[in-house]
Amino acid sequence: VSFRYIFGIPPLILVLLPVASSDCDIEGKDGREYQHVLMISINDLDTMIKNRTNCPNNEPKVLKKHACDDNKEGMFLYRAARKLKQFVKVNNSEDFNLHLSRVSQGTLQLLNCTPKVIKSLKKNKTKLPSLGKVQPTKNLEDNKSVKEQRKQKSLCSLGILLQKIKTCWNKILRGSKEH
Amino acid sequence: MTILGTAFGMVFYLLQAVSGESGYAQNGEFEDAELDDYSFSCYSQLEVDGTQHLLTCAFDDPDINSTNLEFEICEALLNVKCLTFDKLQDMYFIKTKKFLLIGDSEIYVKLGGRNITSKKLNIVEIVKPEAPFDVRVIYRKGANDFLVTFNTSHSQKKYVKELMHEVAYRQEKKENDWMRVNLSSTKLTLLQRKLQPDAMYEIKVRSIPNANYFQGFWSEWSPTFHFRTPEITGRMDPVLLTISILSFFSVALMVILACALWKKRIKPIVWPSLPDHKKTLEQLCKKPKKNLNVSFNPESFLDCQIHKVDGIQARDEAESFLQDTAPQLDESEKQRLGGGMQGPTWPSEHAVITPKTFRGDSPFGRLAGSISMCEALVQPSSRSPDCREGGKNGPHVYQGLLLGPGTTNSTVPAPFPFQSGIPTLNPAAQGQPVLTSLGSSQEEAYVTMSSFYQNQ
Repeated sequence: VSFRYIFGIPPLILVLLPVASSDCDIEGKDGREYQHVLMISINDLDTMIKNRTNCPNNEPKVLKKHACDDNKEGMFLYRAARKLKQFVKVNNSEDFNLHLSRVSQGTLQLLNCTPKVIKSLKKNKTKLPSLGKVQPTKNLEDNKSVKEQRKQKSLCSLGILLQKIKTCWNKILRGSKEH
Repeated sequence: MTILGTAFGMVFYLLQAVSGESGYAQNGEFEDAELDDYSFSCYSQLEVDGTQHLLTCAFDDPDINSTNLEFEICEALLNVKCLTFDKLQDMYFIKTKKFLLIGDSEIYVKLGGRNITSKKLNIVEIVKPEAPFDVRVIYRKGANDFLVTFNTSHSQKKYVKELMHEVAYRQEKKENDWMRVNLSSTKLTLLQRKLQPDAMYEIKVRSIPNANYFQGFWSEWSPTFHFRTPEITGRMDPVLLTISILSFFSVALMVILACALWKKRIKPIVWPSLPDHKKTLEQLCKKPKKNLNVSFNPESFLDCQIHKVDGIQARDEAESFLQDTAPQLDESEKQRLGGGMQGPTWPSEHAVITPKTFRGDSPFGRLAGSISMCEALVQPSSRSPDCREGGKNGPHVYQGLLLGPGTTNSTVPAPFPFQSGIPTLNPAAQGQPVLTSLGSSQEEAYVTMSSFYQNQ
């Protein structure tokens, strides 16, 4: 009777393994890449955004869904880095886009996520706060102002996202120092 | 499923690593011997032109025909997969903002579109800083040193900010080896005493990344700066010169004074000598008149007249005696004493010495009031029976100076025996008159100061 229980163990292992293992490993935990490259680009982007916009304090709902939870830092950074690519499409200066790309690509370079995570993230693509449908406007001036407003909103969201990425990196580095 | 997938992945990776691609190497080392001819080296310069970076590569063998050869960099780029180098003579370079600065890149050497060789390197590990500039040397007279300052363009950059600098200096004519100093700041102090005076020096600076994240090679040397060290002049500071001269003369003066006043002033204070009583007496006592036949010379044995006096009257008499002529006094006293030699006579007028007289007084103080050793006070009322007996027993004669208040009751030493006919002093009998007289004969024993002097 007792050795029948042995047959239940392998399935249990298969079920529990994904829970116990980390979804995304972070390679740059010593912080050198973040401090010497990523942080410079994040700060430059933050400066550019503040110079151009006057953002409200409220956070978009889309960004509230994902947070840098404990043991989920890698996943958050992966999602945030992929989201940054969407902002590259917005009509910005070359330097702005390059910094954005550096943060996005550099973060992804330092993460080693499991294929499962990658697959699940691809399925649940979250979109940026909707810029709103393009309403037919009576004149070109109104059209331009609407576009400008949308750009402002987008940049504000980007600013918030960048701050979240910065906070999450700081959390990771603090944790690695404590260990 | 997860475990199976992981296992397959590991096997596939191992297969790939073992098979190895041709030309795969780290840090520019090639394992394939056939491709040694196409070995090349590269260095990067970040933010060399605004935000643009520069990557420069060249073949190690300058004889290579690089006519149809191309360089290409792939991976670790922003928004693009690969970038092609530009060619300038034998150098291949690329100027772009699109370096990711994280992770390794692959550089391919292509001939007609076909990869000949490749090299994996990290852009941040082959950084060559820009050369420092504006090297200056300022001589600080007050501190007796040289302040070396220089400037670097990397202080304004975002990425490669922390550098290690090397300052090299040497004397121009002597062609010595360079003296080298490493520092992380842009200021250096050279001490004057470590440099040759009145010599021409040359100095230059170069930099290298601090190896915190960015690593690489030494930059080119800065332009050489020349400076001359001041000569050591004989001129001293005027104030210092004045002070040194004054000090010298002060010391010389003190030495001269010390030598001159050593015996008289300094030595008595530093090493006081025991007072000589005879000399002290000479100093304290009044100088006797010429007519007075008195001498403190221990070699001189003069007859001294001793008179019996009465207290205060004795003092007056003593003073008046001083005023009288000495020879008259001596002759008269001699005659009296001469008569006194035959028998014990007690001339009341004679001055004698009594211990009582000196009680309570300092001997020298009392002596200062007396005119001579030979004068003393005596109580005329009584006669000392000892005087009579003294003749039998060989009385002792003293000159009163040796009897102090402290010795009134003590037995006075008498080194010489007294011959008959001469009364003696009896210190034990206080208040009793004591008559002493000196014999005229020099052969008689006198207990004089001279004997004490000689005994000493």
